[in-house]
Amino acid sequence: MTVAVPQFRVYPCAKAVNLPPAPVDTPSDHELMIAVRAGEINRLGELFERHNRPLYGFFVRLTNQPAASEDLVQMVFYRILKYRHTYRDEGLFSAWIYHLARKVAADYFRKNSAVPAATDPAELTAQPDPAPAPADRAAKDDDLEFLRIALARLPLDQREVLVLSRLQNVEHREIARLLDCSVGAVKVRVHRALKELREVYFKLRHERHAT
Amino acid sequence: MNCQRVQEGFIDYQTGSLPAAEATELRAHLASCPVCQKEWAALQEISRKLDQLPSETPSPRLSEQFYAMLETHRREADSLSPFAFARSRLDRFFETLLPSRPATQFAFAFILLVAGLLAGARFLRPPVNPPINSLDQAELAALRAKVDSMGRLVTYSLLQQRSTSERIQDVLATMNLARPDRKVLTDLVGALAFDPSVNVRLSAVEALSAHANDQLVRAGVLSALPRETAPLVQVAMIELLATVRDPSCAPVLIRLSREETADRDVRDAARRALAVLRTPSPSGISPNAQLNQPKPTLT
Repeated sequence: MTVAVPQFRVYPCAKAVNLPPAPVDTPSDHELMIAVRAGEINRLGELFERHNRPLYGFFVRLTNQPAASEDLVQMVFYRILKYRHTYRDEGLFSAWIYHLARKVAADYFRKNSAVPAATDPAELTAQPDPAPAPADRAAKDDDLEFLRIALARLPLDQREVLVLSRLQNVEHREIARLLDCSVGAVKVRVHRALKELREVYFKLRHERHAT
Repeated sequence: MNCQRVQEGFIDYQTGSLPAAEATELRAHLASCPVCQKEWAALQEISRKLDQLPSETPSPRLSEQFYAMLETHRREADSLSPFAFARSRLDRFFETLLPSRPATQFAFAFILLVAGLLAGARFLRPPVNPPINSLDQAELAALRAKVDSMGRLVTYSLLQQRSTSERIQDVLATMNLARPDRKVLTDLVGALAFDPSVNVRLSAVEALSAHANDQLVRAGVLSALPRETAPLVQVAMIELLATVRDPSCAPVLIRLSREETADRDVRDAARRALAVLRTPSPSGISPNAQLNQPKPTLT
């Protein structure tokens, strides 16, 4: 029996997927937000350019509603403007923006009281996925499509913790503060969510290949 | 290291945040445990797939909407009311002027307090009580005396308070005096004017009727008449005045006879009395005239 060499990769702390590496003289998010708070409202544009895509991704994964997600991003930035005076000097901008985003999402789910986390597979097939159907995509995208559907089928709390830690690359410490739980609890939740995602994903693939 | 602990460490191992010693242990365990190997492989596979998930891109609509909102807010901020503008300028002025650190703020406040105390001690004279005007003082003394005497009077009258029957007894007792002095008559007129009991007042009228010729009695009765409320006493008083035929009481009687609110018996009595006043007395000289006019002195 061959022993599989355990592979592991190290996630960079802040994976720069969506933003280019910042030059030294570029103001930090925190500095920009302090400027916005002081009345330089135009500086919010820079913050928007940095964060609108990650935020949009967060909302799309959470709600599975791309059109609504744009409105939700807009709402987050509106609230940043409206509550800019509550931003604290020692505040962490990324923590604050996700705090606002979670509240916006909660408001959205409350208003559309039918939580889109359709865990019932029958219900999910009844709702057409807003993205192009898997069959329309190239074969290599098939797997990713299953993954997207599997993610959408996870319960909301599992999906949220996965999106935050693995897609948004928010640190466990920060997630713990956001969810008001211990870092250990966050790790346990991430692990469980990953296992659940894998199960759903393979079930989907299995069903697909069976047909 | 057991399987459960190893699997608990997977997430940290994946992110590279597991301490080196534990990571070595974990690797050693993985190399020998097929169950954990399988679990780890599954975790890695799904993590890799998640990493491959393309990031979603918002439509240009989002950007447009955001900048439109920003523009609206900017315009609102620009068209700040002059008051708010002045306020913000003022705030900024004080912000630069005053210390921002709590310790310095405290020191600053303390220095201000001490400076204020010193300045007060140096420049302010202790307040002097204004001298009380001698006139005010006299007035005050007079008032105090008045209040004192009034208190005594009240005590005295409270002591004087006696039962109705006793007061009637007193009044009736005066009837036995053939020539009562002025003090007794004054007391009777006072009783007529102020006694709360109708019976006492009625007895007083009765007692006074014997001395109706006295000017003091007539004046007292006349002044008490408009104040009197009991018709019985009023009628008795009118009759008393009628017997002496005093013309000075005519205006009061006329008013009474015309008063709509007065008792009918009272009005009748007043009218009768007026009629009596108009008819000349048999002697031709009214007792009033007789009393009022000084006796002709013999020259």
